[in-house]
Amino acid sequence: MLTRTFAVLLFAAAASRAADGLDPKALLKPPTDAWPTYNGDYSGRRYSTLTQIDQSNVGHLTLAWVAQVRSVAIKSTPLEVNGILYFTTPDNVWAMDARTGRTIWHYQRESQGDHIGQRGVAMYKDWLYFETPDCHLVSLDAKNGKLRWDVEMADPKLGYFATVAPLVVKDHILAGVSGDVTDIPGFLDSRDPETGNLQWRWFSQPKPGEPGSETWPKGTDAITHGGGMTWVTGTYDPELNLIYWGTGNPNPVISGSSRLGDDLYTCSIVALNPDTGKLKWAFQPSPHDTHDWDAAQTPVLFDDTYNGVHRKLLAQGSRNGYFFVLDRTTGENIVTKPFIQTNWSSGVDPRGEPRPKKEKEGTPDGVLVSPSSNGATNWMAPSYDPETGLFYLHARRSWSVFYMTAEGKPEGWAGRDRGLWENSVLEALDPKTGNVKWQHEMGDGEGTAGILTTAGKLLFTADNNDNLLALDPATGKTIWHVNLGGRMVASPSTFQLDGRQILLTPVQNVIFAWALPK
Amino acid sequence: MHRVIALSILTAGVLFAQPPKKPDPAVVERGRSQFKSSCGFCHGDDATGNRAPDLLRSAVVLHDVAGDQIGPVIRNGKPDLGMPGFSNLSAGQISDIVVFLHNQADEALHSNGVPRDYPLKKLLTGDAQAGKAYFNGAGGCAKCHSATGDLAGVARKYSPLDLQQRMLYPGGRGASVTATVMLANGQKMEGPVVSNDEFDISITGPDGAYHSWPKNAVKMELHDPLAPHRELFSKYTDADIHNLYAYMATLK
Repeated sequence: MLTRTFAVLLFAAAASRAADGLDPKALLKPPTDAWPTYNGDYSGRRYSTLTQIDQSNVGHLTLAWVAQVRSVAIKSTPLEVNGILYFTTPDNVWAMDARTGRTIWHYQRESQGDHIGQRGVAMYKDWLYFETPDCHLVSLDAKNGKLRWDVEMADPKLGYFATVAPLVVKDHILAGVSGDVTDIPGFLDSRDPETGNLQWRWFSQPKPGEPGSETWPKGTDAITHGGGMTWVTGTYDPELNLIYWGTGNPNPVISGSSRLGDDLYTCSIVALNPDTGKLKWAFQPSPHDTHDWDAAQTPVLFDDTYNGVHRKLLAQGSRNGYFFVLDRTTGENIVTKPFIQTNWSSGVDPRGEPRPKKEKEGTPDGVLVSPSSNGATNWMAPSYDPETGLFYLHARRSWSVFYMTAEGKPEGWAGRDRGLWENSVLEALDPKTGNVKWQHEMGDGEGTAGILTTAGKLLFTADNNDNLLALDPATGKTIWHVNLGGRMVASPSTFQLDGRQILLTPVQNVIFAWALPK
Repeated sequence: MHRVIALSILTAGVLFAQPPKKPDPAVVERGRSQFKSSCGFCHGDDATGNRAPDLLRSAVVLHDVAGDQIGPVIRNGKPDLGMPGFSNLSAGQISDIVVFLHNQADEALHSNGVPRDYPLKKLLTGDAQAGKAYFNGAGGCAKCHSATGDLAGVARKYSPLDLQQRMLYPGGRGASVTATVMLANGQKMEGPVVSNDEFDISITGPDGAYHSWPKNAVKMELHDPLAPHRELFSKYTDADIHNLYAYMATLK
């Protein structure tokens, strides 16, 4: 009985704190006492202006608390709003007291579908939005985790599932979808925050006859089965009123023979009007991809001066091994440069898009390709630090043999690669040139940790040997580390609570909350 | 797509809750034959579409449970789309077609891997003589390996696919790396590396025990016999690989 009483008291206290909710207007200027969206703010920089933890004192960091949930690994970035954390794993949402790590409520909804990952919730006023392995969008009451509504976005029997953290822009819940083994079209939905009703849907493929459809073969069903999943949260520029979203690979995955052409808008970065879903521009990092190199990675927004001209920019470290900088007003390419050694492109075209070599498409006897299908980077969050002016990403060097195994009409994957070797390196890239400013070796295997930079002149991430690292973002030198006994497959985040800067580091099913001693 | 092989052990990668049981191959073949004669003209002999839709991507097939959706369509047709009904087919024949269609769809769903029994004839496209020349010449393989020594009979030891993979990069992650660690007191210890991160080095010593040191307290040298394999990645042409493989396949 004592436990129950305690839980009720705890719940009541927490509910009172959460009562303020999250005004979507606050997302335009996120306060330092919150981490209100997947990336912390609309820019996707994962840069915090907090300075309490800095280079001089990071060595004194201590545990504020540790929380463990019964779950698979946490891949989500917890939101923090009004002292409450909201985080997820597939089928599960937790609300947790950010001061203590105590669970306030736990929502569970068992489902069929691919349970590969879940990257977090979005919040609008007092409501949370959560996507499920069977491709539903669910809205919960943030106070108590009670279900408000549940809508199916796409048919899971056709192979749709969902992992992405939705993005709130004004009165739109922007929700992407995933697919993997079946030939289905990708799309991005805008849903009504009150009802879940569809406001608009943008498909990753144009309709036959529309601009872009000429990049698909005519007279076949390829364009209607073309992939292009929207499974990493996009970014938003309120001034331009444009959202930026990356799309995944075309289908069938390994065989391109049934979809000759560039296959727009798969493996693309697209700029859409959030009120209408209308395409403003598109840039394609991997035209006619046959290696599973989604261009879904976060399109990071910042401004800089090039040749004396102030420009609004967008940068992506793409899964195919190339770093791109675009003018985010027009989509004009400014920089295209590989950030690891690759061997699949014959060169960059006048649009700044690397052209694929036909001879590096998978064959029955195998072709050697760098990087592997898992990519030169992937969903792990990059960061941009406006003080250093550098873009940071978790890069992987890898070599793999791609086999096209299908006989007859290719369907689904139609082949696969087998990895030979991989290791990882954290890279700081100069957006002006794409040149590597510094590298920090992260060990054998494929790096999986996201990155956070702060105005305390710190970069937080984790290596492939379970070490949490604090690096100097200017030089890449290690300032502090601790072994946490597990791989980080999420991203660090930070916020201020009760005057104290908290650093959150989910590792497997455990969340470590760090702060300076009181 | 999210597939990250390294993480599959960390995450419950459940695609569909109930993995379908492998159907009886005889039933699949009966269904294939029946499908070909009744349906193949429009839907393609392998059901991937012709003048009528690809059934492997069909919502009816993907929603079907034991013929509950496919059966009525076969029997009654879809007159509005020009598909006739096949009321002449027996329940058993329809059931066989259903099993065949599910088997076809299932193969597409599981096409994201290279089968372990991948056939030699698909891999054997190179010229063994050119491969031998590469082995002894440009590839530099003969510096460490011998066709009559460590590689004698290598083609018998591994499956065709594993032979190609191991030829390119043998062993698991860091499997054969050893380190010589020089301690502050001048002592040396050598052994296979257990762990080697930014901060610490650990090896299995000659005594069979685990030893570890902070890197800033010792000096160390790593010996990695696989380094030449990694250097070749950026030098190989695919023809070199296929020729070398053809040569390896002769070492029986």
